[in-house]
Amino acid sequence: MATDTRVILICSGKGGVGKTTLTANLGISLARQGLTTAVLDADFGLRNLDLLLGLENRIVYTAQEVLEEECRLDQALVKHKQESNLSLLPAGNPRMLDWLKPDDMKRIVDMLKEQFNYVLIDCPAGVEDGFKNAMAASQEAIVVTNPEVSAVRDADRVIGLLNTNSIKPVQLVLNRVRPKMMANQEMLSIEDVTDILALPLLGLVLEDEQVIVSTNRGEPLTLNSVNSPAAKCYLNIAKRLQGENIPLIDPLEESSGFGAKFRRLMQTKIF
Amino acid sequence: MNSNNQKIIINIDDRNYTNWKIDLKNKLKTLRSNNLEIDSKNIDLSCKDISEIIEIANHYDSKIIGFCSSSPKTIVSSQSLGYKSQFIIENSSQNTSEINKKNLTFAKTHFHQGTVRSGEYLESPGNLLILGDVNPGAKVSAEGNIIIWGKLLGIAHAGTNGNSKATISALQLRPVQLRIAKKIARGPKDKPKFGHAEQAKIDSEEIIISPLFTTQVDD
Ligand SMILES: Nc1ncnc2c1ncn2[C@@H]1O[C@H](COP(=O)(O)OP(=O)(O)O)[C@@H](O)[C@H]1O
Ligand SMILES: [Mg+2]
Repeated sequence: MATDTRVILICSGKGGVGKTTLTANLGISLARQGLTTAVLDADFGLRNLDLLLGLENRIVYTAQEVLEEECRLDQALVKHKQESNLSLLPAGNPRMLDWLKPDDMKRIVDMLKEQFNYVLIDCPAGVEDGFKNAMAASQEAIVVTNPEVSAVRDADRVIGLLNTNSIKPVQLVLNRVRPKMMANQEMLSIEDVTDILALPLLGLVLEDEQVIVSTNRGEPLTLNSVNSPAAKCYLNIAKRLQGENIPLIDPLEESSGFGAKFRRLMQTKIF
Repeated sequence: MNSNNQKIIINIDDRNYTNWKIDLKNKLKTLRSNNLEIDSKNIDLSCKDISEIIEIANHYDSKIIGFCSSSPKTIVSSQSLGYKSQFIIENSSQNTSEINKKNLTFAKTHFHQGTVRSGEYLESPGNLLILGDVNPGAKVSAEGNIIIWGKLLGIAHAGTNGNSKATISALQLRPVQLRIAKKIARGPKDKPKFGHAEQAKIDSEEIIISPLFTTQVDD
């Protein structure tokens, strides 16, 4: 039995910023470090964590049957094929939204805490009941956002709610970073984002076409192609979660090309 | 050492510095507590003053854990030095009459510490002092003045009851929208220069923004 389980909510406010992708890849990375990890799909409306992990066809029971006591927890948990330290607790059908209460989420998470080192909760978008239920069961949170004004605005809203609900610590992951665009100042910079959100930065994830390929295959990037730019980022985030001191990548460094380097030189002169 | 929570009150009516230090020393001599809270009433203490108080306390084997005061300046100073700080709203009759003489309609100052985030709304029936940023999507309003020790990036409305003398001050004034009394202005497009606190006020029927000098805050 794991004693000090970390229960982490992965949330964003806005949809489509990369919560589910992060949950899947973080789950794989932590499991690979030898940590027993449960990923809980709390996005009952738009469940797709099972899809990303390639486990859709193995689901028999879901969190719903566990709550209704129609099955035991271990019957509903789906173990990952390659990473046996990772298990998925699938979301029930969308009708669960009608009756699920914060206490139900707490009950499920309490059960998971008995056997896992990490419980990662893939949170639905928005700040309504689905989010509130998931938050009620969490201790800490990772807020995922993109370098876009609307995503940052929604993340800020969510951070306010997390703060008032004493979720601690709340850390930031900035996803879909495009070094070239950032260097050309066509995209919000890292400072622009952290200035507003005022959160410790757990990591950056680079924009990477392979994310989309791996999503369609049902094999998270971190499972095989650890050399892809995004996979490296996910692995680093997992290590930092474990307290390892891994320096952040410098997106300007990543965007080779003379233009960016020259501009950086200019910037360092000015400031 | 006495570890009970002890409150020392500094009495300085005439702002005579040498006197309040002696007064403080005398009190500390007999106390020796590691759990002191200093109530500085309505006295403005700078960071330097507060550091001195801490030194005096150390000298007398006492430890200060926090400050309370009805002076926003004192609160800002002690906050910035990392002490637990509590803002006390002043309502002694003497002060109210003084304020009435000055013909000000608002007296109370509400103090908020921390970032005001998107979707949050802060409202005060008096002045509003915020130690933190007001983010895009957040809104703050006050019947009196608004002072933001941080960036104003959201919406601020001062003088909500129609007081056109109300002002909005911030370390960085880059709001989405500003309102003073019934006047509305959109925020400036260009980024303000770093290190210049700014103040918005109504000047000949228009909201203008100009660099802020500390002497303007309290008049
Ligand atoms: N770093 C990335 N690079 C490229 N595409 C990404 C990246 N992160 C996420 N995506 C894509 O963005 C879309 C939304 O991601 P998803 O994880 O489902 O978001 P959410 O769960 O927040 O709604 C998916 O199509 C995914 O492949
Ligand atoms: Mg999702």
